[in-house]
Amino acid sequence: MASKYIPPLNFSPVISTEVSLYRSGYPMPINYSFIQDQLHLKTVVYVGDKSDISEEYSNFLQSQDIQFLYIPMDSCRDSGINKGIDTVLQTVLDVDNYPMLIHSNKGKHRVGIIVGIIRKILQGWSIASIYQEYGLFSGGLKDEADLEFITMFVSHLEVFKDKMPEFVRIQ
Amino acid sequence: MQNDNIEDSDTIREDSNGSRIDEIIKRESDIIQLIRQGDDLMTLNEGELNNDITPDSKFLNHISPLGSPLRHGGNGTVNDMDLLRDKFDDVIRQFHNEEIKQSGTESKIQEEHMMDADEDLDDKFVLDDHLGKSKKFYEDLGSKNVKEMIPPENFSHVVGEIYRSSFPRIENFDFLVKRLQLKSILVLIPEEYPVENLEFMKQSGIKLFQVGMSGNKEPFVNIPSDLLTKALEIVLDPKNQPILIHCNRGKHRTGCLIGCIRKLQNWSLTMIFDEYRRFAFPKARALDQQFIEMYDDTEITNIAKENSWLPLQW
Repeated sequence: MASKYIPPLNFSPVISTEVSLYRSGYPMPINYSFIQDQLHLKTVVYVGDKSDISEEYSNFLQSQDIQFLYIPMDSCRDSGINKGIDTVLQTVLDVDNYPMLIHSNKGKHRVGIIVGIIRKILQGWSIASIYQEYGLFSGGLKDEADLEFITMFVSHLEVFKDKMPEFVRIQ
Repeated sequence: MQNDNIEDSDTIREDSNGSRIDEIIKRESDIIQLIRQGDDLMTLNEGELNNDITPDSKFLNHISPLGSPLRHGGNGTVNDMDLLRDKFDDVIRQFHNEEIKQSGTESKIQEEHMMDADEDLDDKFVLDDHLGKSKKFYEDLGSKNVKEMIPPENFSHVVGEIYRSSFPRIENFDFLVKRLQLKSILVLIPEEYPVENLEFMKQSGIKLFQVGMSGNKEPFVNIPSDLLTKALEIVLDPKNQPILIHCNRGKHRTGCLIGCIRKLQNWSLTMIFDEYRRFAFPKARALDQQFIEMYDDTEITNIAKENSWLPLQW
């Protein structure tokens, strides 16, 4: 029997249609075998405050041929946060980048915001359902500022239609 | 809200169970603050505070120990004490309403108040509640344009084309058909399935599997392992997928089943339990987790291997 797989903190699939999108906290060496054997990632997006990436992690990403995108983000109150989120969305809106993992440090709030925005503007989920999902991963507690940010978020991003994954429903 | 540093706020939230108390304390202080603000307001323009307050909600009563909330009108005399009480009730109601908005269901609040009295309430599927909520949905339908997708509460992807949720209601049907394109639904409750759900499934050609189990009731009732094996056999079979697994709240029985799927994926127990607790929050049961740990997966592993269902594809 192979040794146990240990997914990163708060790991979960977000979308599994013809493309796979996952969410989690910061992957640690203990999680590498899970990511390597199970997820076959092409892209990792990190939204967070740690600008230095450990040698171990960078070696791992390199060995797996995973492209790494770092979006500095402290909270939804950052100035210029919308630009960072647009970059994430741009990545999400290109089928060539999948399978993809979006992670923050604990996989609660920052990733919660990103997933909430994907649910809202790309998938058209109701706000109540989005809040519920955010609450699941943040431990039942809600940061009103995050929820308000998700609700109010608008983007004027322009992307190529033919690269859009099927799950996207933009009116 | 002053968490400029998300890390810090995370750590506070981290010791989650304890922090319920913290949350309550925080709320209390928020309420007091709001009342103080209300106080200021009162001296400024007392007249305008006389907005009618209807003590409509049942859950208001327990925080009005002085008797029913007071109302003004008629005689025109209003003393400060009454105003304060009304203001307090109003603030409390704002808090509760906000909870309703966020959680989407009224019953949740009532349940939370009864939680200590009956831990196992969630397990019971109450048809009347279900129908009541559908009726409300129909009523709302006329007034607003429902274009958005509404997944059932506690909905999530599990792996591949396996999904989990609480009991789907009429407002979720669109999501299940158009987005998930379900082929089957596996329900883990022993009660009869509601007709409107059956009707919907017939129309959309979705097959229903029912493996009725009554959930772990601490400490006396246990989910029989062979039932779970049977359920897993249905779920893992690709010809039934995309499949949605649900019980009543999508917390306990569904959580047990998902935990066993994770075992087949060879996850570490710690992370299996972490996931279980996330969905069961704040009502995680030790027995459920014990069940997942003790569940003997030899039989289902053999069946799965014979049919080459393993390893499960993300």
